[in-house]
Amino acid sequence: MTERKPEPIEEIRKRFKDEWLLIKVTKHDKNGFPIEGILLLHTADREAVYEALEAAFKQGEQELLTCFAGPLVPEGWEVVLGAVVTL
Amino acid sequence: MRIWARLIGPRGAVWCEMVLDTGSSKTVVDERLLARMGYNLLEAQPIVIATASGRTEASIVTVRQLIALGMEATNLPVLAMPLWQSLGVDGLLGMDFLRRRNLFCNFGKGILLTLPFARNFLHRCQLVTHLFAAL
Repeated sequence: MTERKPEPIEEIRKRFKDEWLLIKVTKHDKNGFPIEGILLLHTADREAVYEALEAAFKQGEQELLTCFAGPLVPEGWEVVLGAVVTL
Repeated sequence: MRIWARLIGPRGAVWCEMVLDTGSSKTVVDERLLARMGYNLLEAQPIVIATASGRTEASIVTVRQLIALGMEATNLPVLAMPLWQSLGVDGLLGMDFLRRRNLFCNFGKGILLTLPFARNFLHRCQLVTHLFAAL
């Protein structure tokens, strides 16, 4: 499940559709956004990505990226967000 | 609308995607991500949250730094709560973060623009040129 070669982040996202990704950032664009990285993990399990993130930090990584390579919600679903804090 | 955000935690920096949520009074970050970044949720202040469909509970965690949309917030209190597995983001950018600048959306062109508040007349004229380009 792991690869060790820097590649454009958008290409990684296209390759692992509908999976959660953990990427070590290796390059930024002129605005500071990550554009290239090393794929550390791809999985359908979000919690597994968070676990791997913690492990990567403990191994000395300093800048990581996590994202879902799919839609915001499953196709056919609608989104209602919003939360108000009550003191 | 998903936006890249950079979070700084005790263990390092994480880029993640967040949803722009003008209906949320506070910024929300998945509590599992915050815990893995080294934040201590056990000592976080609990708080009650009102949602459109009811009430729930969360904790308040002060994030060392959050950068998104060209804005930077340090020591930002955010809501730590579990986000639904099928929601493909790690957090929601709420009004506590968004109100730091003016926000303009051009949905037709897919442009999202944040501009600082005008300091004076000349500054306002400069900002209008940015707005004009986005219309």
